[in-house]
Order: sequence, then structure tokens, then C-alpha cells
Amino acid sequence: MAAPGSVQIEPGKLEFALDVPFPSSREASIALQSLSPDREPRKGGISKILTLSGSTLSVRWTADEARILRVSVGAFMDNLSLVLETMEMFGPPLPQS
Amino acid sequence: MTVVIGFEGSANKIGIGIIRDGEVLSNPRRTYITPPGQGFLPSETARHHRAVVLTVLQEALQQAGLTPADIDCVAYTKGPGMGAPLLTLALVARTVAQLWGRPLVGVNHCIGHVEMGRLITQAHNPTVLYVSGGNTQVIAYSERRYRIFGETIDIAVGNCLDRFARVIKISNDPSPGYNIEQMAKRGSRYVELPYTVKGMDVSFSGILSFIEETLFSMLVEITERAMAHCGSQEVLIVGGVGCNLRLQEMMGVMCKERGAKLFATDERFCIDNGAMIAQAGWEMFRSGQVTELHDSWITQRYRTDEVEVTWRD
Repeated sequence: MAAPGSVQIEPGKLEFALDVPFPSSREASIALQSLSPDREPRKGGISKILTLSGSTLSVRWTADEARILRVSVGAFMDNLSLVLETMEMFGPPLPQS
Repeated sequence: MTVVIGFEGSANKIGIGIIRDGEVLSNPRRTYITPPGQGFLPSETARHHRAVVLTVLQEALQQAGLTPADIDCVAYTKGPGMGAPLLTLALVARTVAQLWGRPLVGVNHCIGHVEMGRLITQAHNPTVLYVSGGNTQVIAYSERRYRIFGETIDIAVGNCLDRFARVIKISNDPSPGYNIEQMAKRGSRYVELPYTVKGMDVSFSGILSFIEETLFSMLVEITERAMAHCGSQEVLIVGGVGCNLRLQEMMGVMCKERGAKLFATDERFCIDNGAMIAQAGWEMFRSGQVTELHDSWITQRYRTDEVEVTWRD
């Protein structure tokens, strides 16, 4: 039985985990909703899951090959940094009505 | 009063524009220009857009004299176009829509061109020739859809012109098409080349080593055919290639012969820009269409007739 919170890694698969802290859960949620709608450009061999816990955005990848994993993580980091810069320049979020 | 901001970046132009009830308040734009002989690739183009997008956004607000609180709706290009550049703009649009608490509207790029053309020229119900680097379509409105009457069966006319410019190493500044036009003005010899019209459609890949006259004649022919089918007395030319005065001239001759009216816009609005996305977004938003965040994925393929045109009857 796996310990709670751990991920089962299938034999032969690679995994990468990223946790991004935000000043508030609202801002973490904004980032999540900006970064999640698009499908991975490459259909097979990679999966990416974004989740929210409190004010942390968590991303978990599993991939068949290191090269594919690297490309996906690299692209995500570029996208994340653009979202963060946008939030920095045009935030904080207006109070919700 | 409805104020919409539009984000466009599907090819090598990045534009962000603001429209308030039919008035263009700002429309800044930047173009990624490659050296002569080179086209633009998705990843470099995305990098270019990434570097300037937030600056252009600030410019759009400043030039319009507005703050984020004044914006009612955020429109962005959902597709068609190049994936990575589309995504760069969509990320910023989604983020500011949430920061500012405003609804998001995903716009079809081709419809952006059509709606801008209609706004600027006030053409009532024209047959539309949409010609650019990425698209070549003859479009007519019918029963809540922009129907594609004819299109290229291979490459866009602008793509053809761009590739020709690349082969003979014409400068890409301000655009290859503009420089071809300037050189063509000084030409006097007409060279007969393959003229490929198939009913409502055209083909350009067989005639890369050619001159404007042939390409544009083909486009005039298929536009005329669509007008005859629709009983239309108006032609609207949109898209970057629509800036070409020779194309406008040739289309004008055909229109005059038919007693029809020709409409076209200048380079501010026929070349890709943010305000056209804002305008289409304004129409969509006012007729009740919004895009939920989880549906706001970008797409490289997006047919003009996939959209339900709820704002026209």
C-alpha cells in the first residue's frame, strides 16, 4: 500500500515534480486556470497534471523519454514565467464582486 | 457602453487593441522581421512576442487613456495560426481577464478581419475576399455562418508572395509583399505563367516564380463567381495582401463592370492587429458569447465557418 501523498511510478517511466508557491490561493488559482486549458502539443509519451493545494500550484509530469520530459518542462517554465510577469505587472487581482 | 481589449499574435505581428462601441481607442502593433531570405518560425516568433507583449499591453491602455477597470471584456485569438505564438498571447489574455475579473472571448482570426473590415468601411453585406500570408478565402455571410465559398487548395496567396520574395532575397522590412509591390510598379514585361482556378477555388503552389498579375486575376475571378452566386453588389477585401493597391485596382475594375462597390481598409487594419480581435470580441460579447477558461485552449486549425455568428441575422 503506497503512503498517502506519494505517486506510483510505473517501471521505466520518468517523473518530474514542481511546486510553485503564490502569495494567496486566489493567485495560485489564476495561474492554474491560465496554464491548464491547452493540450500538450505532443500527443503520446507525456502526461502533465496541474493541481492546487492552498496557495501552491503543483505540477506532476510522467514521460517515457528524458528528451520529451525536458521539452515539456522547459515550455511550461517559459509559460509560467510569462503568467507570473503578467500578474506582477497587472496584479494584484481586483476584489471579486 | 462596452469596452473590449483584443489580443492578436497568430503570425509574426503582435497587436493589442481597444475598442469602445465602434471607436478604435488604441491599436499598437509590432512585427517580427527576419533577414532577407528567411521566413519566420514558430518558436522564434513566440520568443519575439513574449519579449514585447506586456509592453504593448501597457501601450494599448496608455494610448487609450484607460485603466484596467474600464475594460468590460478580454478578447483574444483562439486560432487559426501558429501554436506557440497563439499561446503566448492567450496566456496573457487569460491572466488579465482573471486579474481584472472580466469575461474572456475566444475569437476566430479570420472573423476578426471580417468584422474590422465591416466596421471601418460600413459595407452592408459584402462578398469578402480574405487574403493574407496564412489564409486565402472567399467568404459570404448566410444564416448565422460565414460560409467559405472558395479558398486556396494549397497555400495562401501571401505565402506564395513571401516565398517568392525569399527566393530572390527581397527585404522583409516592412513586409515582403510591400516590397514586391514597389518593385512590380516599375515592371513592364508580363510573363505568362500557370493560371490555376478550379471552380470556386485556386491553387498557388504551382506558380511560385511569378508576378502579381496572375495571382490577383485568379482572385478577382473567384470573387466574381461568388458574387454571381450570392447576387452580391459589394466586395470587401481584408487581410494583409489586401493592402496591395494593384489588387484593389484590379478588383475595382471588375466591380465597376458589374456596378458593384469595392471596400478596403488601409494597412492599420488589413494587416493583423489587436483592434480587429477586440471588434469581433465586442460583437460576440454583446450577443452573449463568452469563452469559459477551460474552453480557452488555442488551436492551429479553426475554420471560419465553425463559428456561430450570433450577432448578425
